[in-house]
Amino acid sequence: MYKRRFYLWFWLTSLGAVALLVFSSLQSDWRAHFSTLFILGMVALLTELLLLRYPYQASHAISGLWLSVSTPIVVAVIVLYGWHIGVWLDALATLGAGVITANLKGSHWRWVWLNTAQSVWSAFGAGWVASQVAPTVSLNQPLNLLSAVFFALLAYNAINSLLVGLTVALVDNRRPRWVLTHSLSSLPREMLTLLPLSILVTVMLSALGVAGLVVILAPYLAVRQAFLLWTRQQELYHQTIRSLGFLIMRAHPYTGGHLLRVAQWARRVAERMNLPPERCDLVYEAALLHDIGKTVLDERILNKPGRLTPEEWQMIKRHPQLGAEILSGTPFLKPIVSWIAYHHERPDGNGYPYGLQGGQIPLEARIIAVVDAFDAMIGGEAPSQQRQYRRSLSLEEALAELERSAGAQFDAQVVQVFKEVVQESQKQTPPPAEAFA
Amino acid sequence: MSGLWWALGVSGVSLAVLGYYAFIYLPAQLHRWRCAGLKAFAQIVVLRTNGRYGKPEPMVALASHIALEMGLSLHERRRLELAIYLRDIGMVGIPYAVLNARERTLTEQMVLERHLEMGAAIAEQIPGLSGVAPIVRNHHADYADAPNAPISALIISALEEFLRLAEEVGLEDALGVLKADAGERFHPEVVEALCKVMRTRTQLWGISLDRAASLWL
Repeated sequence: MYKRRFYLWFWLTSLGAVALLVFSSLQSDWRAHFSTLFILGMVALLTELLLLRYPYQASHAISGLWLSVSTPIVVAVIVLYGWHIGVWLDALATLGAGVITANLKGSHWRWVWLNTAQSVWSAFGAGWVASQVAPTVSLNQPLNLLSAVFFALLAYNAINSLLVGLTVALVDNRRPRWVLTHSLSSLPREMLTLLPLSILVTVMLSALGVAGLVVILAPYLAVRQAFLLWTRQQELYHQTIRSLGFLIMRAHPYTGGHLLRVAQWARRVAERMNLPPERCDLVYEAALLHDIGKTVLDERILNKPGRLTPEEWQMIKRHPQLGAEILSGTPFLKPIVSWIAYHHERPDGNGYPYGLQGGQIPLEARIIAVVDAFDAMIGGEAPSQQRQYRRSLSLEEALAELERSAGAQFDAQVVQVFKEVVQESQKQTPPPAEAFA
Repeated sequence: MSGLWWALGVSGVSLAVLGYYAFIYLPAQLHRWRCAGLKAFAQIVVLRTNGRYGKPEPMVALASHIALEMGLSLHERRRLELAIYLRDIGMVGIPYAVLNARERTLTEQMVLERHLEMGAAIAEQIPGLSGVAPIVRNHHADYADAPNAPISALIISALEEFLRLAEEVGLEDALGVLKADAGERFHPEVVEALCKVMRTRTQLWGISLDRAASLWL
């Protein structure tokens, strides 16, 4: 079913793009701009080849996302020469770079082609929007020119994000609304970075022709540097999370599988509960770190196979609080601090360390609590969990146990959603994900 | 012609904004993010050792002044700051009983010293921080034994001892011990820079050394 939907989407997008290319070549006057376009095409191809790999996105396709800054050149051509020429420029640059970098990115030819087709659609949409906003542009009408560039860039990025988002939704078997929200969330940042460059390219191309490209080189490299650092900053955040997770696993090797499983289940529950995509990523990361407080505790207590004394049990009960204390000094981890502090609280108020009740416990902490307990029941390897649940339960037994405790130990709504997620995952095996540009 | 001036104006402003954003603002922000992330690592050590090891402050502030005084590059100063946050992270792998023992046997002391290698190994596994690993590995090195150790490691080594002594015997005496051991245990330039930083503080604010210390420590 998934394959049929994907191939239908693939052929529809592709045939539409071919039709647009054919139609545009009938409409445009190639010869008049051939030399300019040839040089611009080479520059666009070069910028496509100087791609930036967005290194990590927890909720995205596994191999990451590739960003290109050739868009300003395409937008400038669309605004100055019309969409007929812009679509060809974009198609040739994307296709050429796609073929050359296919090995580097590990892409199949169909992704190269689909990416090209999506570029054609984006360039067409941008051209249509620009022609509606400002049918004629020149340097003597700066407002016209600025608004044409702004709306063309906005349309290009929005259409591209939509098309890529829909493809990811089909391939990763995710809900389209969720993926689209995620794809579009990066739009303001892309606009902020690419708009000055798009204006600059358009103005220079209009004033100086191809010679203006030399002047553009410096800002282009600055934007590229900005993109590199911005992606590095995002990566740093995730590296910190992963490194902290790695520290827990190093200190307590048996928790490694448990943490990863809890993180994956927790994110799926969050997605199903319609939390915003960035919130789902945070739930994943909080679940990965929910036991970070245990790195502070005496490992003789943590690894003790027998029954714990009341004093030892009190020590163990401090780990959510200690986890929160570890993370509270790091501003970008602040959103997950309370979730980690409260992941052993219970709706009936009998949890620890604070004895919070019902709505006082954040939803994200309630999600982690359910998934953490479930994984422990079906064979979480930590000695403390084995102590608590004595023997591993089967999947059905564990779900039944969760349902029995719903409302008292666990949040009833979360248990219900988690049950659906588990049952759904038993029915389907998700298809392999691929990266899209 | 007015179009050309307009074009040059727009490109000049764009270039200035983009250049500042890409080459000054973002790298500085990147460093702040990195330090903020490493604070969590330092906090694990502080909590695991009940405050005995791993505290980044006041060492970060003092070290940055010493590094400036010694003319270290921005890149080296930033690496020093990262190393201070991460220096004792190897203690996560040292048994709790050894870390928190009131007095240690020789064997326990040797186990504790393994935190240098363990910390360096952890730093090497954190992407982008492999350059910090040699500093972590050598942050207790004596100058006479390891004159080729990274200068940042020798700054941390001197400051560890200085801050420990300052709490025990006061600033004046702590500085005296460092001066006496300059060229042996401690790098002479580091000691000189430390003395200068402390002196500048007292001169700048017209206060006593101990009062200056309370502002640092």
